[in-house]
Amino acid sequence: MTILEVRSLVKCFGSSTVLNGIDFSLEKGESLAIIGSSGSGKTTLLRCLNFLEKPDGGTISVGGEVIYDSDNPATQSEKEIRSKRLHFGLVFQSFNLFPQYTALKNIMLAGELLATEKPDYKENKKAILADIEQNARNLMEQVGLSDKLDYYPHQLSGGQQQRVAIARALALNPDILCFDEPTSALDPELTGEVLKVIRSLADKKTTMVIVTHEMQFAREVSDKVLFMDNGVVVEYGTPEQIFANPREDRTKQFLERYSGS
Amino acid sequence: MNFFTVTMKLLEGFGLSCIIFFLTLIIAMPLGLVISFGSMSRFAPLRWLTKTFVWVIRGTPLMLQLMVVYFGPGLIFGWTAFPKMNAVLIAFIINYAAYFSEIYRSGIEGVPRGQYEAGQVLGMTGTQVFFKVILLQVIKRIVPPMANEIITLVKDTSLARVIAVMEIIMVAHTFTAKGLIWPLFYAGAFYLLFCGVLTLLFGYIERKLSYFRV
Repeated sequence: MTILEVRSLVKCFGSSTVLNGIDFSLEKGESLAIIGSSGSGKTTLLRCLNFLEKPDGGTISVGGEVIYDSDNPATQSEKEIRSKRLHFGLVFQSFNLFPQYTALKNIMLAGELLATEKPDYKENKKAILADIEQNARNLMEQVGLSDKLDYYPHQLSGGQQQRVAIARALALNPDILCFDEPTSALDPELTGEVLKVIRSLADKKTTMVIVTHEMQFAREVSDKVLFMDNGVVVEYGTPEQIFANPREDRTKQFLERYSGS
Repeated sequence: MNFFTVTMKLLEGFGLSCIIFFLTLIIAMPLGLVISFGSMSRFAPLRWLTKTFVWVIRGTPLMLQLMVVYFGPGLIFGWTAFPKMNAVLIAFIINYAAYFSEIYRSGIEGVPRGQYEAGQVLGMTGTQVFFKVILLQVIKRIVPPMANEIITLVKDTSLARVIAVMEIIMVAHTFTAKGLIWPLFYAGAFYLLFCGVLTLLFGYIERKLSYFRV
């Protein structure tokens, strides 16, 4: 079943076109690695999916429903976007945990705020909040941080912060979990613990879109690989196709640079 | 002129100083927030207007502003002047609101974009992001510069004497005509004590907010 479908996505900043007609689709349970050099538009693509940037052209569909259409202003209102963006979760390169809350509260906060909009919130407040907390505790266990529930972000290492950020993104049960270079801000010895968590999510068939510079990891974990250059999709296929038998010269050059270093 | 009489006179003056201090603080703090929103507005004319206003207020002496507020209406338009205290409060509030607005602006702009974005992608509304995520981080950032500015305000209240408001320094000064210097030092002690209390208070707030880092 196709969960995500992106058609002719265009994004310009001023006079420069950062995304120039991006097409791809993703099956439910698959993980997609997006690779490419800096400035190729990978991060912008991810930010468009999460509505942190407003695409200038194209459509984004989730589960068959068009949730964004550049030609249809009705899909672009603040209110629409706020509900539609919950289809996606986003893990940032720089974690962006909320510094004034404990790890557990970071995970619970958004859920608590959303719960207040439920019609039965007043009657079942206690049960709803208990559910949210239990879910957050489970997630902390899933990312291996059960012993750090009450730690504040500054008391955690970068790798631990990023694992909390992953748990926070998972808390709202997004259909598609996006990662924006999740290990790029980490010391090399801390990347392993984060990649391990992402790998375990892939094993559980979590639908993911991962922008990454970790080629080995992309090759091992992803079901599909998308190579971007200059705002277009140069090559899209399985990891075997892309890494072992790239058809395009630009892909070959890019991969050679990486394997060389 | 015994110690008791001087104390009572100085206390009277100090009372006026305190009124200027607290009323300025209470009104200039929210007004500064409004001005800071103006200087961060996406609407360029409003932004430039606000920035020019802040430039003028910060770029001229408070003493001059006091005189303009007090003498201006009469000399320019032929109106009756404001009562002295009102003129003092108007000048102080405008002046301090301008300074506070810049502190707020730096505090708000200092919060990384990623904090807003993290809130947004989690489905929070703009209001929720501001109150649940941003605000406390802003407060933590602005406590030290605000403490500085507020302690300056304590001492700036003495400027009110240029339009003959009998604040504590002016009272103490009257005693020099009677050959007494110590009431001036005594007045200084009032300021020291007041600023000491404020320093403790701000230290307490800083410690209260030290459980997290921004």
